[in-house]
Amino acid sequence: MAPRSDQSYTIGMVGAGGIAPAHLSSWLSLGVSVVVYSLEGAPELVAGHGGGVVVESLDELLEACDAVDVCTPTYTHADIVGQAAAAGRQVFCEKPLALTSADARTAIDACTQAGVQLYPGHVVRFFPEFAAMHAWVVDGHLGELAVQRFSRIGSAPSAPWFFDDSLSGGLVVDQSIHDLDFARWNAGEVATVFARESASAAPEQVRSCQVVVTHTSGAISYVTGTWAPPGTTFRTTFEVAGTNGLLQHDSRDHQPLVVNVGSVDESGTGLLPATPFVESPYLTEIREVYAAFRGGPPPRVTAEDGYEAVRIAEAAAESLSTGRAVQLSPAVEVAR
Amino acid sequence: MKIAVMSFAHLHAVSYIRCLQALGVELLTADPDHAARPAGEAGGAELAAELGARYVDSYAELLEWRPDGVVVSSENSKHRELVELAASAGAHVLCEKPIATTLADARAMVNACAAQSVNLMIAYPVRFTPAFVALQDTLRSGRLGTPVAVTGTNNGRIPLDQRAWFVDPVLCGGGSMTDHIVHVADLLDSLFESARVRSVYATTNAIMHAGQVAVETAGLVSVSYDNGVAATIDCSWSRPASYPTWGGLTLQLVGSRGIADMDAFSQRVDGHSESAGNGIWLPYGTDSDAALMAEFVSSIADGRAPQPDGEVGFRTLQIVAAGYESVRTGQPVTLASS
Repeated sequence: MAPRSDQSYTIGMVGAGGIAPAHLSSWLSLGVSVVVYSLEGAPELVAGHGGGVVVESLDELLEACDAVDVCTPTYTHADIVGQAAAAGRQVFCEKPLALTSADARTAIDACTQAGVQLYPGHVVRFFPEFAAMHAWVVDGHLGELAVQRFSRIGSAPSAPWFFDDSLSGGLVVDQSIHDLDFARWNAGEVATVFARESASAAPEQVRSCQVVVTHTSGAISYVTGTWAPPGTTFRTTFEVAGTNGLLQHDSRDHQPLVVNVGSVDESGTGLLPATPFVESPYLTEIREVYAAFRGGPPPRVTAEDGYEAVRIAEAAAESLSTGRAVQLSPAVEVAR
Repeated sequence: MKIAVMSFAHLHAVSYIRCLQALGVELLTADPDHAARPAGEAGGAELAAELGARYVDSYAELLEWRPDGVVVSSENSKHRELVELAASAGAHVLCEKPIATTLADARAMVNACAAQSVNLMIAYPVRFTPAFVALQDTLRSGRLGTPVAVTGTNNGRIPLDQRAWFVDPVLCGGGSMTDHIVHVADLLDSLFESARVRSVYATTNAIMHAGQVAVETAGLVSVSYDNGVAATIDCSWSRPASYPTWGGLTLQLVGSRGIADMDAFSQRVDGHSESAGNGIWLPYGTDSDAALMAEFVSSIADGRAPQPDGEVGFRTLQIVAAGYESVRTGQPVTLASS
C-alpha cells in the first residue's frame, strides 16, 4: 500500500488555549489535516489560522484523526492521553506529560499497551540556541559538566487554572519543568532537588521559583522561573560550565534586531517566547514528532523523558511544601 | 591624611595602593610575610618599589608611623590579628573581604574596633559601581515594586595563578563559597536594608580543577530573607583559565512591578585573540576600587562611620558559614534571629 499523503493524515487537536495557536500553525505548515475539539475557543482558533475543522466532541475527534495533539490544561492530560490510546491513536501531549508522575506512568502504560507512540512537548529542546548548546555539550567540548543555570521569565498565563496548584502543579511543574528537563538532558539523572518559591501580594502576584538540583554525576543545576506582569518581554538565559569551558546565552542580548520606538516592543510578550529570524521551534518540534508518527526515527524527547521531568518537578514541589531537600529514587530503566 | 597598607597577600592591595596614590594621601606599606609565600609570587619591598610606595619591614614600624587609617589585605585567616593590631594603634580600618574565616573572629574584630572607637569598613567595591547604585536608586524609586526574588552570580577563574593561599582551606577559609558569596550578599544586604537572612541552603562540588585543590570550586547557595525574598547565589569558580577576564558579577532582581538586570562589569569592548586562543574584554567602566578608597578616606576626614561596616561583614559571613553547614547536613540551615 502506498503511503498516504500528508493531507490525508489527520491530527486531532484537543484544547484551544495558550499553546494551541503555535501547534495549529505548525501542523498546517506540514500540510496535514487538522480537526479541533475544545470546550471553548475552537472556532476562534480555527478562524485565526485559516485551517482546521471544529468538531463537537472528543469521540468525534478520535473517530476523525490518526494522531492526537493534547493541548488541554495539565490536569486533563493523562485522561485524554488514555482515551487517545484506547482509540489506537498516536499521541503528542503538551508538557507536562501529566500533573503527577503516577498519572504520567499510567499514560505511558496505556500507550505502550495500545501500541501507540507518545511524545511530550518539551519544546525547549527544539529552540535553536538550546539545541546548539546541547550538541556542544554532548560532543564533549565543555569537558565534564559541573554547573548549569537556566532562567525563564514570561508573563503569567491568563487562564485561572494555572494558578490552582492542584490543577497546574504550580510554577515549577508548569514552567520550570522546561528547564528541569533540559538540565537533565545535559547533565543526566537527578539525585537531589531543593526549591523555594516567593510571590508578591495582590494585585500583581508576581511569582518566582528557584530550584537547585544535584545530579547523580555530581553536576549541579539551578533553574529559576518567573510569572511576571502582563506585557513583560519573554526572556530566557542559560549558562553551562564544565571542565573545559563555558557556554552562555541570554535571549535579551542576542536579538538580531532591536527596535526602539519609544514604547514596549510587543513581540515576544506574553506566554510564549519569540525566536526571530529562525524557524519556529514549535514547527521544528512538531515536524520531528510527525515524522515519528509516519514511521520515521523517534524524536529527541521520549515519553520517559516526559515522565522524568514530571518526577523532578514533583520533587521540587515537594521541597516547596516541606522546606527540605528531596532525594529522588534512581530513575527506572525502561526498555524503549 | 596618613594611610597604611598591611600585607600584599591579597593582590587587591596593588589596586588599592594605586587608588590611594591618586587620592594624594600619605602612604606607607608593609608586607613582612612575603618571604614565607611560594616562590614566584610578587610582594614585599620589591612590589612596593614597583608601585612607588614607601615600605617598612614590620607592622610595628608601620603602626609607629601613627596612620589615620589602615588597609588590611592579608590572607583571610590573618584579618583578625592585623585588624586588632591596627585598632589598638587607634587607626580606622578597611579590611579586605571576607571579614574573617570564622564568625568568632569577625565578632571579635567588630568588638575590638568598637572598643577603640575606630571604624571598621569592609572592602566591598561592587557596592560602589554605577550599575549597582543605579539599581538601588531604581528599587528605592518604587518602579520595580516590592522585591520578590534575586539571582546573583559572582563567577570567576580559580585564583590559582595569583596566590596559592586562595585555595588553602586554612588561610582562605574555604573555596569558591568563601571567595564569592560575600560580594553578592553585601549587595543584597544593602538593597534590603533592614531585612535579615532566615535560612540558607547550599550545594557544592569540586569537579572543576579536581585533584588540584582541596576546596570546593562550584557552589549554589539559596538564601531566604525575612522580607519574603528568595535569592540564589552562584559563587562558582566556573570561568575557565582561557576566559577573557577574571570573571564578573550579575544580579537579577524580580520585583512586583518590574525586573531589573544588573551586570556590574558590562561596560566593555569584546574581542577575540587568535594567538591567545581566547576571548578579549576591554573594560571602560568606572573603577569601583577608587570609589571604595575615596569613601574610606573621606569618612576619616569627615569623622563619620563608613558603609559597608563590620556588621555587614559579619552578616555576609553568616551566609557563608551557614552555607558550609548546609553542605555538611544536606539541608537548609536556619539562622537565629539577631
